[in-house]
Amino acid sequence: MQGRKQQQVERLRARIAALEARPALAETAAPARPSGGLLATAPGLLHEIFSPEPRNGGAALGFALGQARGLLTPQRPALLVMQLSREARDMGLPYGAGLVHFGIDPGAVVLTRVETVTELLWAIEEATCCRAVAAVVADISGYHKAIDFTVSRRLGLRAASAGTSVFLLRYGDGREASAAKLRWRVTPAPSGEVKLDARAPGGPRWRVVLEKGRLGPGADGREHLVDWTGHDFVLVDGRGSGNGAGAAGEAPLSGAEPAALGHRLSETG
Amino acid sequence: MLNLPRWATDCLRRAEPETGEAPRPLALWERQRGAMRLVAVDALAARAGLHPEQSLADARALCPQLAVHEIDRPRLAAGFAEFADWHSNASPIVSVLTDMAAYGDLCLDITGVDHLFGGETRMLETLTDRLQRSGFTVAGAIAPTVGAAWALARFVPGQIVEDDPGAALAGLPVAALRLEDRQLAGLQQMGLKQVGQLYGRDRKALQARFGASLITRIDQALGRLEERPVPRLPAAERHVERRFAEPIGLLDDVLMCARDLAIRLGVQLEAEGMGAQGFHLFLYRVDHKVMTLSVNAARATRDPEHVARLFANRVERLAGEYDAGFGIDMIRLAASSVSEVDPAQVGAFDTGDGAADLDRLYDRMSNRLGPLAVLRTKFVNSHIPERAAKLEPVIARTADDPQAVPDAHLPRPLRLLPAPEAITVTAEVPDGPPAGMVWRRIGYRFRKASGPERIAVEWWRPGEGALTRDYFIAEDDGGRRFWIFREGLYGETARPGWFMHGFFA
Repeated sequence: MQGRKQQQVERLRARIAALEARPALAETAAPARPSGGLLATAPGLLHEIFSPEPRNGGAALGFALGQARGLLTPQRPALLVMQLSREARDMGLPYGAGLVHFGIDPGAVVLTRVETVTELLWAIEEATCCRAVAAVVADISGYHKAIDFTVSRRLGLRAASAGTSVFLLRYGDGREASAAKLRWRVTPAPSGEVKLDARAPGGPRWRVVLEKGRLGPGADGREHLVDWTGHDFVLVDGRGSGNGAGAAGEAPLSGAEPAALGHRLSETG
Repeated sequence: MLNLPRWATDCLRRAEPETGEAPRPLALWERQRGAMRLVAVDALAARAGLHPEQSLADARALCPQLAVHEIDRPRLAAGFAEFADWHSNASPIVSVLTDMAAYGDLCLDITGVDHLFGGETRMLETLTDRLQRSGFTVAGAIAPTVGAAWALARFVPGQIVEDDPGAALAGLPVAALRLEDRQLAGLQQMGLKQVGQLYGRDRKALQARFGASLITRIDQALGRLEERPVPRLPAAERHVERRFAEPIGLLDDVLMCARDLAIRLGVQLEAEGMGAQGFHLFLYRVDHKVMTLSVNAARATRDPEHVARLFANRVERLAGEYDAGFGIDMIRLAASSVSEVDPAQVGAFDTGDGAADLDRLYDRMSNRLGPLAVLRTKFVNSHIPERAAKLEPVIARTADDPQAVPDAHLPRPLRLLPAPEAITVTAEVPDGPPAGMVWRRIGYRFRKASGPERIAVEWWRPGEGALTRDYFIAEDDGGRRFWIFREGLYGETARPGWFMHGFFA
């Protein structure tokens, strides 16, 4: 009896979350991703990732790809990265070997370079509607009149109905009205220490603030220092050298990557 | 074979607005070795005694009211090619014979299509009639070989020869064999005036005297040697078409018709268990022009909905260029690159891995945005970073080289600049990382740096004179991690340059 009631409540909660197109909150049903961590997001959301300056493009792309990596499944094997071709010349193109180093299968990533914002929006929408795409990451460095609340609302609805996540990488301090479910502010942070070599830069590290939307208790509104382990995000406690601790504390996802990570650390060290 | 001896002048006359007064003779001239000579004359001018090769001054003296234009050969050749394409509404294989004149000879392969017009005689009549009505001087003939048809169209217009071209040609002058002037003069001298007189001759003697090309021409005309004119449009393996009693013009109508045709083509392909990768829509305008729209699919398909959507996307890209002229009276949808398709694959949206869905998505995006807009990474076995990862169109995917997959331990940036940008570095130490840099007019101080990773020139590539690069990962005080390199070692060059090449996460 108790079990059935519990099941019904679970089902209703899932339905409400689906209706509202909201991330399943921490108190609702089972977490969307088993190894989620604090910043894990459910699929089918429109994210905006803001970074103050276009020169932080590497960090912003890294954070988006890190989020998107967790959304890849056998049913959704593709990840599309879109850019305007004139912006691609300034910001740099996603680089295959860099993706391998970051921990993403370059075979899953398809790049799209378009000429106009209209084409870019068309491409984002078209890709979002496809049920085999895990996530669409779009780089929009300048201000464009065509991207307004209506557009973001439209993308948000598309994302929710198809279950594809959309990450819009935006730059600057201004915030326009948008229907994005989650808005992040991402800046690069000085990397942690590398064993044996104090002068070498460590792995990717970001300062992340969730400016809009809710993920779960403890994740909202505060600034987090986050490291990338090669397959997931790890929180770093403010002062300590979180790099080693995070890597050690994280349960390995699969055999190959943690081994590779360990090797990399010792090599750079 | 259709012969249009006065096509150039007919075409010009059509292009010029009709005036009330009586038409004047028209001729085209060209500067040949310093002299202005006629190259094309119309029927009126010919009646006045003008002929090609005549000098312009003579022609004007003979015929004072002559209208003359300088010939624009590239434009006429392009116009004739378009004109030829338009004829593919009668037969899919149309070629322009250029070996005697740049334009004027159209060769249609009517094998298996004449019944659509009610027999060969009716077809020839239809084709010549519709051209004559629009003001072209035209003569046609049908024969089993290209050579024979050419000869008949010139000398016995309207003739239809079912088989044995030899007998039909025997009575024609030797000029019917597409020979050079030198050869014709030689044959005249020998008293060989008719094609039939050549049949029994010793081939070796003829070849010795007039060259091998004479033998080739005879053999081609008689069908002993196969002659295949190059078709203007690629021959479609499968096609369906629709003719309209009234020409249509609206783009939406065209797309609707394309969808109907795609359904018919899909049924045809399904019956054979085939699918196609290329689809071409030919729009035949009433004013003798053809518009072609092509779409490509990454994997063979026959799903009409998909094909129709590809065309709809393709059309969005051409928006302004669409011009139906005076209307479109026939539409043909052709399929190319036809291959066998697994029946289960078609129309199945639930294939588990979503690969079919993705291919469809990439097809749509490539056709709307252009094939070079949707790219995937293909690794190349090279140490030079920009060469190691090549971008190739998703829909033209080639096999991956398993040797080329980069080592995950090598630090490589997430973003790579397409062209390294020069930077100014400060406090340089030989062979070490710099303490800071100026990039895009902003100064950076490096807190940490690691390297160098030395990447030497690929000496087996000739003629580049490139220098060795030392790559460093440098992190500034804001935490941004850059991939910078010094080109040239100290000692290799006097002043090594520094460049920004990429950004880490």
